Amino acid sequence: MFIQQLINGLALGSVYALIALGYTMVYGILQLINFAHGEVYMLGAYLGIIVLGVLTSFGFTASHLPLSLVIALVVSMAFCAAYGAAIERIAYRPLRHAAKLAPLISAVGMSIILQNVVMLAQGKEYKNLPPLLASEGLAIGGANASPVQLFILGASVLLMVVLQLFVARTRLGKAMRATSQDRVMAGLVGININLVISVTFMIGSALAAVAGVMVTLYYGVVHFFMGYTAGLKAFTAAVLGGIGSIPGAMLGGFALGLIENFGASYVSSVYKDAFAFLVLIITLILRPSGLLGQKAVDKV
Amino acid sequence: MVRIGAAGPMTGDQSKMGIDLRNGTELAVTEWNEKGGVLGKKIELLAGDDQADPKQAVSIANKFVNQKVTAVVGHWNSNCSINASSYYNAAHIVAISPASTNPRLTQQGFKTIFRVCGTDDQQGGVAAEFVIKNLRPKRVAVLHDKTTYGQGLADFFKKAVEGKVQVVYYDGIQTKDPDYKAVLTAINETKPDVYFFGGVYPEAGRLVRQAKEVGMIIPMITGDGVYDPTFISIAGKAAEGTYVTFGKDPSGLPTNKAFNDRYRGKYGEPGPYSIYAYDAANIILAAIKATGSTDGLKLAEYISKGTFPGAFGEISFDKNGDVTRAPYVVWLVKNGAFVETK
Repeated sequence: MFIQQLINGLALGSVYALIALGYTMVYGILQLINFAHGEVYMLGAYLGIIVLGVLTSFGFTASHLPLSLVIALVVSMAFCAAYGAAIERIAYRPLRHAAKLAPLISAVGMSIILQNVVMLAQGKEYKNLPPLLASEGLAIGGANASPVQLFILGASVLLMVVLQLFVARTRLGKAMRATSQDRVMAGLVGININLVISVTFMIGSALAAVAGVMVTLYYGVVHFFMGYTAGLKAFTAAVLGGIGSIPGAMLGGFALGLIENFGASYVSSVYKDAFAFLVLIITLILRPSGLLGQKAVDKV
Repeated sequence: MVRIGAAGPMTGDQSKMGIDLRNGTELAVTEWNEKGGVLGKKIELLAGDDQADPKQAVSIANKFVNQKVTAVVGHWNSNCSINASSYYNAAHIVAISPASTNPRLTQQGFKTIFRVCGTDDQQGGVAAEFVIKNLRPKRVAVLHDKTTYGQGLADFFKKAVEGKVQVVYYDGIQTKDPDYKAVLTAINETKPDVYFFGGVYPEAGRLVRQAKEVGMIIPMITGDGVYDPTFISIAGKAAEGTYVTFGKDPSGLPTNKAFNDRYRGKYGEPGPYSIYAYDAANIILAAIKATGSTDGLKLAEYISKGTFPGAFGEISFDKNGDVTRAPYVVWLVKNGAFVETK
């Protein structure tokens, strides 16, 4: 049972981690909690189910699955990246020099708007996608890692490595780090701040889109309200790992997935959601800046 | 103008059930209106969306009371029906639920509350008997969704199998949670031969779908809340081999041909509870016609004593407001459809 719960927890955790990355990257640069981020994930899931549906009607069958998955991922990532950049441009940039609470309220408003737009466009009903992949996958010590789980785990880890390399090695990544350290100073040395912020939103949103498509494939259920709980959990994961820290968001996501699974199986599934928040409270009491977060030092 | 209410979950993950309920009621109302209404007045249908939420059900009940409806077809979920029933009873409004199976609904001593479906003690008993006789398990697991309906049904099943079979697992799950792999893995560890689920199709669909992914190959047996094609469309092939208790199939009966044809022409394929809602609405309207009154207490008295034509033959009620006979049978999901087991 332990190994099976480990696999379940890692698959769930990597979804949380992918969404948490968007929260943490935006926070790192703007010190803003982008509450509309959960909705971007929801949009990604909708795009996944729509693209897969359209492809099926064009005659793509199960044997084309890898190809249709790639198309669904690319379309969803591109669309959500554009959405993320647009959200920043419309709702946050005009308020960048306003009081700190103003963009936060704007974020909550954006989240409500997006939920309602999708509800009006797609309806209040749940949309279902029948399972596309077989359920039997790798047998590991009596446990079964299904193909979807392996795909989720593999794709997430790959994306996290790419992101880490991007931030550490590329010019744009360096510009992002500089902007997160001191936005004004970075601007003075010639970094295009607006571009860096837009790119940050696009990357975060594209990662959320991947999470959305994978969840569509994993659970087969999509609805307009799904971004709320998922966003809350991913935000918890980001805070758990230390908000603003990229490795922290990954660690927080995996930790949260594992905690939920082990809590639900060894204690009781009735309190599944409670474990996540219980652990968050304990962590914040013992380590207020999160597992990998750095103590905020005010620069003079 | 005579006003009839139809209440159920018309948005959210159980929305299909509420819409089926409303359509069934609407069909009956339309037919009566075509024949000139009742008591020389047109019948107006008011729909109330309780979102499968008992708190929302109370606000719908209050709304119906203020709108002076004569009678209500609804609600769908047991907890919604039970919460709303005291308001209907106090306002002397007849409420006939086409689907709420929790026994408590009609055991509150309310004169105006009825149902045209069976109850969960009967249903849980039929499921238990079927499991013991046909599947001969040594160990069973029991799972529920923590709602009045789901937990109630699971408890009746558990009570009926206890002493004959070992119950190795009993726990609740959170509705709306997308991921049930943790609890399924824990169930699988206790090595049951079959597991019972008390709940509704969105959760049941995710459960059987994810059960296969954690290597669980035992069948699920569950109740009437899962009897809907949506269950199969959520779970795909994983739904195969699931047992569901539900009423007998009325579609073969000649009395239902007219209903099926008209319903299909207007709304598409009838849902499992469409015809129950249609029956409930017809009973209400027949009672109004026969008593010449829209007074709830008079209607309730007439309904409790009368006999009415229904989907499965004649419907009559016992002193609580339950139907006198409610034949549950076990259905099996086979080749993507529900098949009655013999």
